[in-house]
Amino acid sequence: MRNTMLAFTVLLSLTLASPAFAKLNVVATLPWIGSLAQEIGGNKVAVTTLVKPSQDPHFLEAKPSMILAARRADIVMYQGLDLEIGYLPIIIEQSRNPLIMPGRPGNLDCSRFVNVIEKHAVVERSMGDIHPLGNPHYNFSPVNVLRVAEGMTTVLAGLDRANAEAYRSNFKAFAARFEEKRKQWNRPDLKGKRYVAYHHYFEYLAADYGFGIAAYVEPKPGIPPSAAHIEKLVSDMRSSKPDGILVTPSYGLKEAEALSAKTGVKVIVLPQDVGAVKGSDTWFAFMDTVLAALR
Amino acid sequence: MRTPVIAAAAVMAVCLCGSFSFAEEDLNSRLNRLDAEVGKQTETIREQQKTIDDLKDRLNEQKPVESHVPEQSGKPTGLFGGSLMTNPYVSLVLDAKGYVSNLKNSELESRGVPGFTTEGRGLHNGFNIDAAELFLFAPVDPYFNLYVNIPINEEGVELEEAYFVTTSLPAGFQIKGGRFKSNTSRLNAQHPHAWDFADIALPYKAFLGSEGLGGENGVQFTWLPPLPVYTLLGIEVLQGDSNSLLFGKDDRWGPHAFSAFAKVSLDTSDNSTLYAGPWVLFGSTNSGSILPADEATGNTFNLRGDSALYGLEAVWKWKSGQQGVTVQGEYLYLVQNGDLTTSDPSGAPVSVERLKRHQDGAYIQALYRYGRWRAGARYDRLELFDDTFRVAGVQQQFSGKPWRATGSLEFNPTEFSTIRAQYTHDRSDPGGRVNNEGILQAIFTIGAHPAHTF
Repeated sequence: MRNTMLAFTVLLSLTLASPAFAKLNVVATLPWIGSLAQEIGGNKVAVTTLVKPSQDPHFLEAKPSMILAARRADIVMYQGLDLEIGYLPIIIEQSRNPLIMPGRPGNLDCSRFVNVIEKHAVVERSMGDIHPLGNPHYNFSPVNVLRVAEGMTTVLAGLDRANAEAYRSNFKAFAARFEEKRKQWNRPDLKGKRYVAYHHYFEYLAADYGFGIAAYVEPKPGIPPSAAHIEKLVSDMRSSKPDGILVTPSYGLKEAEALSAKTGVKVIVLPQDVGAVKGSDTWFAFMDTVLAALR
Repeated sequence: MRTPVIAAAAVMAVCLCGSFSFAEEDLNSRLNRLDAEVGKQTETIREQQKTIDDLKDRLNEQKPVESHVPEQSGKPTGLFGGSLMTNPYVSLVLDAKGYVSNLKNSELESRGVPGFTTEGRGLHNGFNIDAAELFLFAPVDPYFNLYVNIPINEEGVELEEAYFVTTSLPAGFQIKGGRFKSNTSRLNAQHPHAWDFADIALPYKAFLGSEGLGGENGVQFTWLPPLPVYTLLGIEVLQGDSNSLLFGKDDRWGPHAFSAFAKVSLDTSDNSTLYAGPWVLFGSTNSGSILPADEATGNTFNLRGDSALYGLEAVWKWKSGQQGVTVQGEYLYLVQNGDLTTSDPSGAPVSVERLKRHQDGAYIQALYRYGRWRAGARYDRLELFDDTFRVAGVQQQFSGKPWRATGSLEFNPTEFSTIRAQYTHDRSDPGGRVNNEGILQAIFTIGAHPAHTF
């Protein structure tokens, strides 16, 4: 009994004394948010990302390991707009961590810095798995991601005043790199191009780069296509000849490939998040990959 | 940018005006002096402009970045209900079943598990509405969340759950209180519409009843210590009045049901998770539901004593893209001692004898999901290692070991609807007839999006 207690005490003190505690513990739901937090936080933060790049953010479950990560968090950063509604509320409540409860500075909804598109005034579930607060996939929008980075900087600086200067200078470096990249990204002219998309993933991208999404493989968000819907889409695509079928590696790839085989329109696989395809390990690399694929 | 230009022009004009008083001086030297003067002034202006720019920069840095972002107050974040259904979160779940069996409705009603429970099947041939469950949730304030669950069924409205959960206790502590389903095990805490099959596993039905322990008044303390591995420790103090099988109403004590549990979980890979833990439910028992009335004499039996139900649950889940596998199993062991009172049909006690029970049971189930489809199989049985049931020291014989085998196929059009077909070969009444039953179940959710527990 005494040995058990001793072991327990040692284990507990080891955990408490581990050097990770000197850093600000950031828990990010999605990989791009984690990557952004790392850019802004630098060596002042320890980032844990809950969702793996290979996983689709729509279909997740709260795992106990995620609850444990949130238990240790100084701040939780999430995409918002109901994207994480299926698991994040449970993680937050079960974490038993007052710092990250809604309304606290340690609860950061990144969407509050974003100009949200596709807000729906009238919503019901017959319209599919629609997000009433607007399209949540703003990680494809450079302008909005810069705003999130800026907002994240302010929040981190407020939470960890001792390192506020470090966060601000990291953001300056991020913004400078962003300016440089933005010129590159504007180069391939995508204006006037028309694509077919599997899911409502790429609307911010379309708005920022001036291309059109002519049709969706999903008849309604989250609802897989019926044979009749595909048939109609095939005949539409044969006559309208769009520039590609946009799809992510984890959501609808098989259906898109089948559609491509029938219509001859090429499939363009875009990562849905940082790290979802090879060579997209930071948000900049992610945008590079996305825009290179569209070119 | 315009301001410095005007300022420079003004300075130059002043200088030029001033220079006319020295008309007798040499034109060249005057020009040189003017040039130098203008140069100096320009330098000053440049310096001042720099200071202004610096100040502006500093001001910008100090300004909160969000200031140019649309005002966010009043905008729902989308978490905890979110969307257009902000406060409170409201949802309603309909659980409807079509049932067919080779047994008559009268046989189903009286079909208990001999040596365990007298509770019948709870379903009859034809259409059944299990319940329309109304679910409410909202944060009370920054310190508490409140949950209410009100199943509406054919008998009326019931307050199954109404409890608060603390959100601001330090050091990983949490208190839950009110009326709630015990968190001793996953199956017990889940609502019937969240179960992987249309009914609860046989050991639960045998030891606790067809809804598990059910909603009990009480309080729960849990602690999530800061360990490298997820470890949740909890204890509960419950009234014990609602569950008529394991505990029952007690006229001597207040709270007379207690639980303790530990849950440990670790990720076995990026896509798979193991979750396991022991639990115990114990307290004083006052139950008339263990043995059925004697058919010949009409005598009824009531047990008064102490019970302890030990459990060990384990779950392994794997999920990758469209596919998922869940394997779950649990072992339950009951220790019960007390006085068995036999009463005649008028209610007068005939005899009191010592009752001693040591019985166990287990289930194992596996589910495979592909896209919107899910298939499952379950095997449950009682009396694996121990079947002690002694009245006055005499072992009772209940003809065989009860068991069931179940298969199911589900179609989930969206996460808000489930249509499930289930077949069970039921030998939970070994002395009676085999029950081959088919269930077609439909579960629909409207309202706020539910969050899914592990």
